Amino acid sequence: MTEKRGGSLPNLCNAVPADEPPFATVTASGGRRLIAALNPAAAKAGLAPGMPLPDALSFVPGLVTAPADPAADRAALTRLAEWCGRYSPWTAPDETDGIKIEITGSAHLWGGEAALVADISRRLLRQQIAHRIAVASTLGTAWALARHAADAGAPALPTSQDERAALAPLPVEALRLDPDTVQGLRRVGLRHIGELYPMPRDALARRFGANGLENSVAYRLDQAFGDLPEPLSPLGETPSRRVRLSFAEPIADPADLARAIERLVEDLAARLAREGMGARRLALGFHRVDGRVEHIRLGTARPTRDPRHLAKLFAAKLDTVDPGLGVEDMILAVFAAEKLDPEQTEFSPHPPAAGVTILPPPLAGEGRGGGIASLLDRLGNRFGLDAISHIEPRQSHIPERASIYVRIEEKRGSASNVIPGSPAGRGPESMNTGLWKMDSGLASSARPGMTSGEPTGNSRKPPRPVRLFRPPEPIEAQWVLPDDPPFRFTWRRRQHRVRHADGPERIAEEWWIEDSAADPRASGDRVRDYYRVEDEEGRRFWLYRAGLPGDPPPRWFVHGIFA
Amino acid sequence: MSFSQVMRHDFPEEVPRPGRLAALRERIRHIEQPASHGVLPFGVAAIDRALPGGGLALGAVHEILGIDGDEEDGAAACGFIAGLLARLRMGPVLWCLKRPDLYGPGLLAHGLDPARLVIVTASRDEDILWAIEEGLRAPGLVAVIGEIGRLPLVAGRRLQLAAERSGITAFLLRRWRNSEEAARERERPSAAVTRWRIAALPAREVDDLRLRQLIGQPRWRVELLRCRGGVPAQWVVESGVVESGDVEVADATGHVRLSPELADRPAAAVDRKEGRLAAEPLQRRTG
Repeated sequence: MTEKRGGSLPNLCNAVPADEPPFATVTASGGRRLIAALNPAAAKAGLAPGMPLPDALSFVPGLVTAPADPAADRAALTRLAEWCGRYSPWTAPDETDGIKIEITGSAHLWGGEAALVADISRRLLRQQIAHRIAVASTLGTAWALARHAADAGAPALPTSQDERAALAPLPVEALRLDPDTVQGLRRVGLRHIGELYPMPRDALARRFGANGLENSVAYRLDQAFGDLPEPLSPLGETPSRRVRLSFAEPIADPADLARAIERLVEDLAARLAREGMGARRLALGFHRVDGRVEHIRLGTARPTRDPRHLAKLFAAKLDTVDPGLGVEDMILAVFAAEKLDPEQTEFSPHPPAAGVTILPPPLAGEGRGGGIASLLDRLGNRFGLDAISHIEPRQSHIPERASIYVRIEEKRGSASNVIPGSPAGRGPESMNTGLWKMDSGLASSARPGMTSGEPTGNSRKPPRPVRLFRPPEPIEAQWVLPDDPPFRFTWRRRQHRVRHADGPERIAEEWWIEDSAADPRASGDRVRDYYRVEDEEGRRFWLYRAGLPGDPPPRWFVHGIFA
Repeated sequence: MSFSQVMRHDFPEEVPRPGRLAALRERIRHIEQPASHGVLPFGVAAIDRALPGGGLALGAVHEILGIDGDEEDGAAACGFIAGLLARLRMGPVLWCLKRPDLYGPGLLAHGLDPARLVIVTASRDEDILWAIEEGLRAPGLVAVIGEIGRLPLVAGRRLQLAAERSGITAFLLRRWRNSEEAARERERPSAAVTRWRIAALPAREVDDLRLRQLIGQPRWRVELLRCRGGVPAQWVVESGVVESGDVEVADATGHVRLSPELADRPAAAVDRKEGRLAAEPLQRRTG
């Protein structure tokens, strides 16, 4: 536990010029208006948080007030915590006025804790944020020191051995206790933390542990001394890998940012290559001088560590980043990575073949996959991976279930490194094509380049349309006999006269499938009778009548159009 | 190589001699007609004759239109494209559309293996355009299909350039939401190398009385409305869905076949509006 060090920066109110007029934010509580927070000028005039506004106004008649906005405060604090991500991946807002940073393992990058603190301090001052900083082995101690020992410009940086001594003179509030417990301690004369040291821990626990664990004096003491673990739950997800680039001078020019991106992805790629990994999910943080952080988040269809490809993906989104007055740090973080073998390199440009050549499947496969994968990434990052799909056959005779759209990502899950269109990625090819054949009934023309023979005769099914509407679109139809196809129908406000018709092809609901994947409007039709009709113009539609002919009243739908 | 560089290095400031002049002409022709990526023959002499190079130019942009109600759904155009893709070399195809209404079994019937398709769904024309252009830059794709409504001329040129550079062939399936959009877009100049219009035609009447009510072989009128370096023309084509045992016309692949009474005639001879009427006699069978 001793290695762990927490930093804390409480009291974030803007550092304002001394001649600023007294100012306070006001909150309403039980019909009374109370001072929530105030600036130094107001504090100097004798005001304090929690004071009723009328009292405050009698002290300082010229007090400028504004309603408190806790949500905005929280958001600002979170933003600042995010900005602190330049110091460590583990940062989080602490209550309403502090930020905790886990700097174990990153202080040396800055030349030690003191140098790191000096850097934070310098940058916060530039943003006009008043602050107090403490560094300690435990969160509890850092919390106490930052709020009760540190001062502006004088951070508390005790060595591990001195921490106990540094805590001793602090008031008992510094143990993160509620006011009742603090009152209780005061009543028995215990005002400073040091006075608790000689007391037996179990007696303390019995006497001052009634208000819940959080307010148990013994518990808080143990936390402060590191006898009890207190993990820091960081903001959001913790990246598995991070690469950082800092600039002596803030940069804002898109060309500079693009160059910086190239350097970062090269660093990352080198690291991923050493580990034999490829990134799947990344975020690039732009830490601006004004304390804001802009992000570009990326997901890739396949694990990748191609620096050119990654740089391109980020560059494509660079225009969404507002560099403000300048970016002083860029941090590239990997949140998800997968194994990527060295030979799976991307970008193998194949010169386009001249003329027409129908390549046998094995030649049309793997090598090109790389180019496709990077295309999928670019598309996915613009439209979302949901927008990219793949048509897959399914063993069903319900038309909308026989051919479904499968997200490329899901497909990846079932078989790794599936590249659409490459036969190698299609899994057991024979099975797949077999399904298509069965459903199209056109085995003979299924594969170009193969001998196109005669139709397979008996096993053929009626033709299927090239466009299928999901859901089927209702039409107004007129027919003569119950079993007849319509002789006229109106669809999308256009009337079609039926010249020829084939059918019916009866398709019954798959009653054995519980959860119907079909559209709710269409499901519930136990039986559909499909007709292929040709109108006067020669357009061919796939119509169906829902329900049995005898049942009242039949409903008609157009489900698809033939080419 | 930018043009200014050409000027500086390759054209010395002396009077060009005849040999140089020929070389210069050759060079200009090269600039005007950039890198050829070969052609895709239909395998039907009548159509291939009308196309410069004897087939559909690869590494170029082709526009495919529907007609009347099918301008909205692009079903006939979709079948036409599927048949062409089936004859292109194997490999993945990017299909960009606004609503996923492609149906695998139907495509397969036209010879296109749906497993080759990567489908991108986007709702706006600008996004579709972007996706097409990205696709045209992706090594490894064989073709890109974009179902697009509004296509500004400049955007079309960009696509054409991208296609020329990569050798990937683009088919723009024009789908228009309503007649206003259709009217506006139809008249817009286009940077595509060819523009086609595919119309479903009523099937040929069959002699057999028992089959008269039934649907016969699907047929299309295929119009080549515009063709860079070629002449507009139109044909009646029977789609490749092999349904009957009828083997009177069977080209090597069976995907796009010409009707036996096909007439190879320039469209100029036929008024656009009366196209169907003029084609009428073709549909009636003599015997």
